[in-house]
Amino acid sequence: MVEEVKASANAAPPAEPASGGQKPGGSAKDAGGEPKVSIGVLKEIEPRERRVAATPASVGRLVKMGLAVIVESGAGASAGFEDAAYAEAGAQIVPKAADVIREADVITKVRPPGAHPETGEHEADQLRAGQKLISFLWPAQNKELVERLAKRKATVLAMDAVPRITRAQKLDALSATANVNGYRAVIEAASHYGRLLGGQVTAAGRIKPAQVFIIGAGVAGLAAIGAARALGAMVKAFDTRPVVREQVTSMGAEFVPFEFQGETGEGQGGYAKEVSDAYLAAEQQLIAEHCRTSDIVITTALIPGKKAPELITSGAVVGMHRGSVIVDLAAEQGGNCALTERDRTVERYGVTIVGHTDLTSRMALQASELYAMTIVNLIDEIMGKKKTWELSLDDEIQRGMLVLLDGELKWPPPRPEIRGGAPAPAPKPPAHAPKPEVPESPWPGRIGTALALAFLTPVGLFGSQELVQHLTVFLLACVVGWHLVWNVTPALHTPLMSVTNAISGIIVIGGMLLAANGGGGGAPVAALLGAVAVLLASINVAGGFLVTQRMLRMFRK
Amino acid sequence: MRITLVNVAYLVASLLFVLSLRGLSAQQSARRGNLLGTLGMLLAVAVTLGAVVAPDNKALAAGPSDLGLLAASIGVGAVIGAVLAARVAMTSMPELVAVLHSFVGAAAALVGIGSEMNGVRAGGAPDVAHHVEIHAGVFIGAITFTGSVIAFLKLRGTIGSKPLVLPARHALNASLVFACIFLAVAAFRGGEAVRVPYLLASTGVASVLGAHLVLAIGGGDMPVVVSLLNSYSGWAASAAGFMLGNDLLIVTGALVGSSGAILSYIMCKAMNRSIWNVVFAGFGDQGGVVPAAKKGEPAKKVNETNIDGAADLLLGAKNVIVVPGYGMAVAQAQHAVKEITTLLERRGTKARYAIHPVAGRLPGHMNVLLAEANVSYEAVKEMEEINEDFEETDVVVVIGANDIVNPSALDDPGSPIYGMPVLEVWKAGRVIMLKRGMAAGYAGVDNPLCYLDNTLMLFGDAKASVQKLLHAVSARAEQQAA
Repeated sequence: MVEEVKASANAAPPAEPASGGQKPGGSAKDAGGEPKVSIGVLKEIEPRERRVAATPASVGRLVKMGLAVIVESGAGASAGFEDAAYAEAGAQIVPKAADVIREADVITKVRPPGAHPETGEHEADQLRAGQKLISFLWPAQNKELVERLAKRKATVLAMDAVPRITRAQKLDALSATANVNGYRAVIEAASHYGRLLGGQVTAAGRIKPAQVFIIGAGVAGLAAIGAARALGAMVKAFDTRPVVREQVTSMGAEFVPFEFQGETGEGQGGYAKEVSDAYLAAEQQLIAEHCRTSDIVITTALIPGKKAPELITSGAVVGMHRGSVIVDLAAEQGGNCALTERDRTVERYGVTIVGHTDLTSRMALQASELYAMTIVNLIDEIMGKKKTWELSLDDEIQRGMLVLLDGELKWPPPRPEIRGGAPAPAPKPPAHAPKPEVPESPWPGRIGTALALAFLTPVGLFGSQELVQHLTVFLLACVVGWHLVWNVTPALHTPLMSVTNAISGIIVIGGMLLAANGGGGGAPVAALLGAVAVLLASINVAGGFLVTQRMLRMFRK
Repeated sequence: MRITLVNVAYLVASLLFVLSLRGLSAQQSARRGNLLGTLGMLLAVAVTLGAVVAPDNKALAAGPSDLGLLAASIGVGAVIGAVLAARVAMTSMPELVAVLHSFVGAAAALVGIGSEMNGVRAGGAPDVAHHVEIHAGVFIGAITFTGSVIAFLKLRGTIGSKPLVLPARHALNASLVFACIFLAVAAFRGGEAVRVPYLLASTGVASVLGAHLVLAIGGGDMPVVVSLLNSYSGWAASAAGFMLGNDLLIVTGALVGSSGAILSYIMCKAMNRSIWNVVFAGFGDQGGVVPAAKKGEPAKKVNETNIDGAADLLLGAKNVIVVPGYGMAVAQAQHAVKEITTLLERRGTKARYAIHPVAGRLPGHMNVLLAEANVSYEAVKEMEEINEDFEETDVVVVIGANDIVNPSALDDPGSPIYGMPVLEVWKAGRVIMLKRGMAAGYAGVDNPLCYLDNTLMLFGDAKASVQKLLHAVSARAEQQAA
């Protein structure tokens, strides 16, 4: 990481160190032309937060869009961006947070506004009426904060409320950070695990690969799968949404499916949803089973606007090997593991449980770059070509993210018209004219029923007990055969045919009974016919089985 | 041997057959499945022998001459079967399967006739149900026999693959069926003297029916026909089971019968046609109309290429899919094809095979041929698995396939194969189509794929073309390596 910082510092060296701290382009409100909209960038006050809402590169983009940017001095320091680099990109550097809030029209942040740990001053209280704030907000969990902001008559857009639609992907800050988070979770787990993750065969013996179990195959989960696989671990992933199976397997992990009485965990907008108690219990049990055989468990299960579900019970932790590691990425929302302690790494029953909520911050440089770009894209979306702040309430993205409009509560947004889960692939438009679909005619079924009745009724009326018994056997065997053969892979259709061919040589039995002639009681011609039948059927039996064997031997992996 | 012991052994044998079919559902367990089936058969035969030699009622024990005959027929049959199985070329699998079906059909018919003879000799009025069972069993057996013989001859090419379309053939079929029913009723009413002759007459009529039914089906519908006959042979065995009151025959026949029925259904689905359409439509007579109507148009232009051009294309490609068809089987070109793909793979090209469900003349035939040529079954993909990948494929090589890659199945409602799922090869960057000439496929349908801009035609005998292509590719690969 140190190297990365250097690299970026080299990429944008302060050209005029002397002018550092002074914005080259003059003040935010240029004399003459229309006053520019100014974007403020605050230094994060939360002690563990090292990210920043803007990078020199993103400042460059904003300036190019015709905006002024005001950056609090030292805002990017912990992420590896120096004031000089911001200034070089065209930002005005001001010494204090209060200066930024006073000057800027739009305030951008990473974390929700909070009280300063030293001065105790709350960021929200400094906003003025009509000022705009863009940051993570978690409005469902932070009701009090939203009220506080409402009192200031601020306009607030929550970066955690970006609707999951294709057009909004470039502003999807959650996905961008979750990706980093998932990767870092594996790194944390590996460092606490303290053993090799990849399997190796050495002259001194064999090292087994670590078993990694990932709960929740969202963006973070998938990133974790990729990272763990890259380190050589064996990875299983669990998710209640069956649609993610393909994504999981494409990343090289085994998918652990879960179904409970027809209930799936797929909620609105492609996110997971809250489920019933019985469902949760069954889910916990399945997870406990998989935890028992895993060395590293990474949980990423979140439900939007709700406390994270408790998926790993304390019992499940007890069942794990000593020295195993759980990384709980849901620690901020209450944790997926019953024993997670927020912002701490604890050892319980020999299992290390990592509950840090700042994993993304530990990769602050790149996480900031990604987050800053989503902010730039959002501002671009709002300002459009007019260069003025113009919220469009008809726009699904802007409406979805809007929490407060001049102090008026706008969240949650009205439900958009039904649009299926976004991550589920949209049905592909047919490349050609649609295939002619013959509507299922009910007649074959009806005719079949009629025929069956027409056949079975006389059997029931006139047939012997024996016949009925044979019919029972026959029909049941048909059902068995029907079910068996549907499972055969098409590649084996020819061997299947030759085997059934051989098996239908069972008629040899009939021939034998005939040829044996009932101890001389039968017709001599009949015995001869029987012998011929045996001859033919034996060809079938021998030929069929042998040729099948010959064929199957050729099939190889 | 106690009869209950025999029946328990039969029960075990039927379970073994069930497990055998289950084993065949996946590559990993297929060989064990075959072994279980063999075991079941050995058990059934051994127990039956025991029952015949030492039955409950000692008076019914078979005499030495009967036993000798029995042993001889089993031995000779097994040897013939073993030789056939060892000698047959994989490309001739369809013929072998067809001829084996005919044996089952014939055996079932013979067993039916024989037991009727015994019944007449034993005297007494026949039971209705038993009488129906015998006639039905012989009917199915005879149809299976002659139908499979015709299918065999068609597959071998001894008789032409064009469907024989007689005028009023549906009426003919129906009257043959009614004749059989009439003979059955007459035999029941006529008394002992006529029972066997009428049954024989009915056998003859059913044989004609079987032959006629298959003669009316075009050569390319053979996958369906062969699997249908597979199904019939099962039903025939089942009918014999009813006739003899033997549950093992009933169960086994039913397993085989439903297996064949499913295969036929899958094949029909793959051609987007109903089973009735395949059996009774005489496909050739519809198919012929369309190209004829287009005769008036000026000849469309095709892009031709030569061996060198094709070799260059292949060597330049990152992602190649081979689509084999019946033409590859006829030309026995699978080994050379495999060598080409191996060469390409060694150079880092991704080479795979795409198999249409009805490619070839037998369900799964192409898979067997490719397996024979040592192609890993993981490189052989089914249509559903691979159809989406064509877009990302640089070069598709179509060898001796036509209708299964015909785009008009998707976009030309006038085409007789409209609606049939096909391999969408035209989405690939380039298509190299190995073809003997500009003749239409068996369906008699013109293939617009030949005229597409990204299609290159490589005319010539498939075997020769593939061989030359292999030499060209390997020579070039060596040159580039040097």
